[in-house]
Amino acid sequence: MGEMSRRDLFKLAGAGVLIGSVYSVGYTKPVKSPGRMLPPPKGNRVVIVGGGWAGVTAAKYIKKEMPRAEVVLIEKRKIFMSCPISNVWLGGLVEMDFLMHDYHTPASKYGYTFINATVLDIDRAKRRVYTNEGYVDYDYLILAPGIGYNYDAWFKGDREMARYCGTHFPSAFIPGSEHIALKRKVHNFEEGTFVLVVPPPPHRCPPAPYERAAMIAYVFKKNRVKGKLIILDPKKDIKPKGPGFRNAYVELYGDLVEYVPNAKIKEVDPVKKVIRTTAGDFKFDDANLNPPHRAGDLAWKADLVNPKTGWCDVDPLTLQSKKDPRVFVAGDASSVKGFPKSGDMAHNHTQTMVVKALVALMKGKDPKEAVRAPTNTCYSMVNGDPKEAIVINVIYDIDRKKGTVVKKKVNVENRRSKQLATATFEWARALYRDMFS
Amino acid sequence: MDRRDFIRVCTAVALTSPSLLTDVLLAKGSGFKPYRKALLVNREGKPLRPEEVLPSKEYIFFYPYRSTPCLLINLGKEVGPVKVKTKEGDTYLWQGGVGPARSIVAFSAICTHQLSHPTPSQTFINYYPEGKIAKAVRRDRVIQCCAHMSAFDPARGGEVIEGPAPFPLTAIVLSYEEGKIYALGTLGREVYEDFFDVFRPDLRKLYGSSRRARELVDVCKVMSMEEYTKEIVRC
Repeated sequence: MGEMSRRDLFKLAGAGVLIGSVYSVGYTKPVKSPGRMLPPPKGNRVVIVGGGWAGVTAAKYIKKEMPRAEVVLIEKRKIFMSCPISNVWLGGLVEMDFLMHDYHTPASKYGYTFINATVLDIDRAKRRVYTNEGYVDYDYLILAPGIGYNYDAWFKGDREMARYCGTHFPSAFIPGSEHIALKRKVHNFEEGTFVLVVPPPPHRCPPAPYERAAMIAYVFKKNRVKGKLIILDPKKDIKPKGPGFRNAYVELYGDLVEYVPNAKIKEVDPVKKVIRTTAGDFKFDDANLNPPHRAGDLAWKADLVNPKTGWCDVDPLTLQSKKDPRVFVAGDASSVKGFPKSGDMAHNHTQTMVVKALVALMKGKDPKEAVRAPTNTCYSMVNGDPKEAIVINVIYDIDRKKGTVVKKKVNVENRRSKQLATATFEWARALYRDMFS
Repeated sequence: MDRRDFIRVCTAVALTSPSLLTDVLLAKGSGFKPYRKALLVNREGKPLRPEEVLPSKEYIFFYPYRSTPCLLINLGKEVGPVKVKTKEGDTYLWQGGVGPARSIVAFSAICTHQLSHPTPSQTFINYYPEGKIAKAVRRDRVIQCCAHMSAFDPARGGEVIEGPAPFPLTAIVLSYEEGKIYALGTLGREVYEDFFDVFRPDLRKLYGSSRRARELVDVCKVMSMEEYTKEIVRC
């Protein structure tokens, strides 16, 4: 392709010409240019990039609150797989179809356009989103790209090693194949040491690594594994729901689980299967290696990430990007003090803040006045037989004078119970039906 | 019963505060919606007597459709009319309690957040009577949904106390006539259309068809929640 940049390529593509990709072997393969996919917007088109918890929620609620808005949801996956509850599935307590949902039903019901395409680039100056199917122009953009894995923190740009690590020891914090691979590992494990690395905060779903550990331990206990699960945590203690997880590890799984605090990663060698940490070196037979998280790749391509934090700086009330007020960053990629990166939080802040602010903006009203305080509820399954869970619930309040969100009340129930396990499933079912039925 | 009749009902209990009635007239899109007048009966099919509704328990009946559950509650003390506030700042007048002590109230048991409701196998949305603390909201005499911890105030027309519920529980308007309790209609925003749409397969299983699930009732059998469901999930 010589010196031609991708953006140059799209310029040509936008002009509707045929282009050719020149290969080093010296022949040209003609391909049809990806052109404009939708007519130019008329002032109320919202393009949502990313069909996760935030993106799907945004699409529905914008249409509900402002039916005349033109809403376009672009997602590369053909089917939605839920990351929340995936640990419960890992433990074998629900079937895969509990996690799986279709994009077509809500798009049809609420009247938004679903485009099943991969976003390649975002040109904020032109307000244009490029996909492998063509480009779409927007008036407002909701960017909901989720998270990416920062393997660079471990392998300093060694892509081969990062790929090796991701292939052999998948993190499974981004739904899909990785989750299935991890489940196979866990259920096949018979003896030795299995290590679970907790990523440093902030990462997707703060209690998820600990819930995952509990579910892995449950499977090991059931399968009478001769060995142990070592949890390497860079933090000094389990947080959130620390007592609930700790009690579960000790009371339910005993010697099967070894929790190691203050284990900051110094070096990961996935080939020799050794991890060097500030709490010592650990050899393992198999592992769930979770590198640090950062904003999803598309946020970086859109140049909306603060490189110092790895996340997008946003207004804490409206979640508008501090770099571009036409762009709202919803879900895990945004950085708001006090907001965990979780499915329920993404669903909540998208509905009560992002959508309210954007609709107000489109109606010529004050976006900050329109937002409402979100809540966040997070159940964690800690036992599989009987099913038992713990829960945290956070009520937020809005300080309109300071323009910030504050935690008003935090309720934690660390005493695991069957009732909370039953509620865990309804928590999920209710959210799924809100987004997908 | 039309809107005017409803206002007369309210007048009977709200004479001390005529200004509240103005709010009824001004209420937009959240007013009284009449359905069939339905007699509340006990397990034997006889008219439910107010003294059968114990303050220490929660009861369930189905109204205005045969598949839409409601909570029947005796708050144990007189409850007067209340101007119900929504999160959007709208208000409407709720009639308060009925019965000899004006302490009996009823609300749709379908959570306005994401439609959790009692089923024969379990219920996540419950009334916490005096002395039974709902942990998330840290109080009793409250209706709380354990799916995402929305809490509603049954003494204030089902107003949202806290949690993600976007608007109050739909109130069931009751009347007390010659010792009998009737359901007359609903007050506040309804979620029935979403309910029928989302739970179609479940309703078919329970009632034979979606059409049957939508049948309006003129008699409501009142049961204790324990009688109706296998598992009461409290949190």
